[in-house]
Amino acid sequence: MDGIKLVNVSKSYEVKNQQLKVLDGIDLNISANKMTIILGRSGCGKTTLLRLVSGIEEVEKGEVRGVRLKRKAYVFQEDRLMPWLDVKRNITFGLKKKQINHKKIDEIIEMVGLEKFCSAYPSQLSGGMKQRVSIARAFAYNPEFIMMDEPFSALDFFTREQMQKELIKIHQKTRCAILFVTHSIDEALILGDKIVILEKGRIKSCYEMNEKKQERDLLDQKFVALKKQIIDDLRII
Amino acid sequence: MNKNKMIKTTISVVSLITVWGLVSKMGVVSSYILPAPVKVLNTLFKMVQTGEIFEDIHISYIRVLKGFFIATLAAFILAMIRIILPKWNDYYENVLQFLKNVPPLSLISLLILWFGIGETTKIGIIVLTAFFPIYLNTVKGFISCDKKLLEVGEIYGYSKVNSFFKIRLPYAMSDILVGMRIGLGYSWRAIISAEMIAASAGLGHMILFAQQMSRTDKVIVGILVIGVVGYITDRLFAFIIGKVLKGSEKNGWD
Repeated sequence: MDGIKLVNVSKSYEVKNQQLKVLDGIDLNISANKMTIILGRSGCGKTTLLRLVSGIEEVEKGEVRGVRLKRKAYVFQEDRLMPWLDVKRNITFGLKKKQINHKKIDEIIEMVGLEKFCSAYPSQLSGGMKQRVSIARAFAYNPEFIMMDEPFSALDFFTREQMQKELIKIHQKTRCAILFVTHSIDEALILGDKIVILEKGRIKSCYEMNEKKQERDLLDQKFVALKKQIIDDLRII
Repeated sequence: MNKNKMIKTTISVVSLITVWGLVSKMGVVSSYILPAPVKVLNTLFKMVQTGEIFEDIHISYIRVLKGFFIATLAAFILAMIRIILPKWNDYYENVLQFLKNVPPLSLISLLILWFGIGETTKIGIIVLTAFFPIYLNTVKGFISCDKKLLEVGEIYGYSKVNSFFKIRLPYAMSDILVGMRIGLGYSWRAIISAEMIAASAGLGHMILFAQQMSRTDKVIVGILVIGVVGYITDRLFAFIIGKVLKGSEKNGWD
């Protein structure tokens, strides 16, 4: 499978009759089989970048190549569950009836720890649980390419850690391309194959990491140095 | 309804009837203007025994159901076109807005001229009355659909039609049902008026005929029956809504 390529992508919004440039000439390769992390402060254009790649919003200038034919899933910042469907039906929302493999769906439900809530409705779940349902919905779709917009930010520390491990596992199993947006540097260092730092709508810097994810230790000298460097990148305005 | 609520309702109904009974007993108003509750009850029993009241209820009910069904179907289809093919909507939107402001009863003379005093006229009146609350609520439900949920459908490759039936329609369900409930209530009001103007059977006709025969007791029976049948229909509808809308927020319809 080929990767996805962004060529000179720009986007601006009109706010009170003023053009506000959100993204400015982004060139980016999202490699197949790899996890690309977009890291940046809030308001730097991370979500807009995801929306452009997903096709929900149109690119103003430039182009996004190689994404149209792909089976893609998106984990939104909010859970975005259908309030009239129970947990299981929400998870299979993207699938056609014939495509549903119940054994696999049950595995995914177990992975996100919601076995007991299969027939509960979203209004009966906590915020973190809803977010886990929405993550499960994305994986149930068998995507080749997943976009995730701060998917773990609503989860508590332990669930977040567990979900990160599960994400690494699933990624190694399915080898799908993942574009992951976060503002947590630690999360980026734990998950990323490539970290892209976005600042004011431009790519500030880019780091590749080849270490095996299971063996990464954030207290290791190398990672501490990298974290320092990233913090410096983000600090200068 | 729980026990407590039942007792309170009974108290208010019983005291209302007591006041009514006292007023007619004291002879404050003539028994022609306000017959005693006992007399009304007797008349009701007689009408139940002979079965004539059921005949009238049956006839009015069938008319309401037919008209209501047609109105619901038309409202749903037009609202759906408005969402799926917004350009087509331009053809009929203003005509509908015009018709909305014309009271259906004002059309009755025309309808009688065109269709006679048969069933078509009465059902036509019901359709015209029930259509607008259903249509407007349905459109409101479809249009107010959360964009964020529609985007989810877009991501998972839903077509416009698919996303209509899988996202917009369930999202709008509570609005649609509210519209249908209002429409059903309106249908009842409309059929009685229509039957009073042009009919040879039905509850409206029964009331008007009783008035002409100076049978105020029958008039009151007619009013009570309309109220009770309307109430039961509404409760039934509320019950169905409760079943359909499980999982969504509370709606204050219990």
